[in-house]
Amino acid sequence: MASKRPASGLRRENDPPLLILISLADGPKHGHALAKDIAAFAGVTLGPGALYGAITRLEERGLIEPLGSDDRRRPYQITSPGSAALAAALADMRRVTRTGLARLGLDGGRA
Amino acid sequence: MTSADPGEPGGHPADPAVAKMLRWYPRAWRERYGKEFLAMVEDSLDGRRPTWRLRVSVAWAGLRERGHQTRLTSQKALLRSLTRGWLTFQVAGYLIAVLPSEFKASPPPARQWQATAALGVLTAIAAFTGVALLAGSVAAAPAFVRYLQAGGWPKVRRRIAWAAGATVAAGGALAGLVLASLSESFSQLNGSPTYLAGVLATSLALVVALWLWTSVITTAAKRLDLAPRVRKAEKILGMVATFAVSVVISVNVIWYSAIQSSVFQLLLGLTALAATALAAATKIRLAARSGRRLRSASGRGR
Repeated sequence: MASKRPASGLRRENDPPLLILISLADGPKHGHALAKDIAAFAGVTLGPGALYGAITRLEERGLIEPLGSDDRRRPYQITSPGSAALAAALADMRRVTRTGLARLGLDGGRA
Repeated sequence: MTSADPGEPGGHPADPAVAKMLRWYPRAWRERYGKEFLAMVEDSLDGRRPTWRLRVSVAWAGLRERGHQTRLTSQKALLRSLTRGWLTFQVAGYLIAVLPSEFKASPPPARQWQATAALGVLTAIAAFTGVALLAGSVAAAPAFVRYLQAGGWPKVRRRIAWAAGATVAAGGALAGLVLASLSESFSQLNGSPTYLAGVLATSLALVVALWLWTSVITTAAKRLDLAPRVRKAEKILGMVATFAVSVVISVNVIWYSAIQSSVFQLLLGLTALAATALAAATKIRLAARSGRRLRSASGRGR
């Protein structure tokens, strides 16, 4: 079925949890910084509702964790299970991308 | 907003228009994420007023979060639950629309006993369910009074106002429908798209009003400190009320089968009745067992 979640628990491309994990992969960020980074690298604008909905689910699943902060802007960092889930999701995506490129006969289509 | 609310964290009062958007989220979520969420919204607005689009998307996200907390983990589940309620009302509305015309019809003499018995059962069920609901309310009343005395009123006041408003709107729509039905014949109403639209809109308004009252009751009930034996009684009484609705529908079918002299409808009604009785007996037994567990757990905790 098309909507079935992969083993990593992350869906593809524009899935807010996946985008958040990618954004956090190079260091902790707070909500607004996450939204700006995601808009910059993926061209996806995540509203506060969608962003914090995803943050809530990711924290529940132990894939990210909050860092202490005196400020209202609480930064989050990716956890080890989060890194593993992100790596698995990206590997899945890479396999699909390679297959697509190979079938189109484009450069980089083979591993 | 109280001083403990996330709208006024550490000397940084949030913009009231922005802080207001948090109300769509459940309390536990607001306590955990409220401050940082407001900070993010303010950062992204950069001094501008929140747009309607932002308000709607935040409201929707807040409702989804509420849905998630009540195990309605997706939009689909929320829509399914509303659709189910709406469909139930459509069936009930259809029965109410059809039955009055059938009241004028007399069953054949051979089936008179069946119609009389069905109507007797309907009356008994209505009385029994009324008593069950009353007993449930009386049993929970002391805990509810304690809750209100401990400062619970502000927590349910707004919900009650919404539910009351929705009830008035639904009542108005229902009254309009009844007035319209008095001025036209059954066959005229049956073919009227305007009347059909009115029936659909009214049933939707009733579902929303009921949903809001359910939300009031759920919110208050979650905070009530009920004794284990009261909890057990409430569980069983709640099930009695739920199953009474199924029994009413089945008995209606049996009564209708008498008017129509239909053996098929009679069998259908009896089968539905038997299935309901079986399901009710199982559920009530499970509820009683879980109530016993609650009581023994509470006894051990003392």
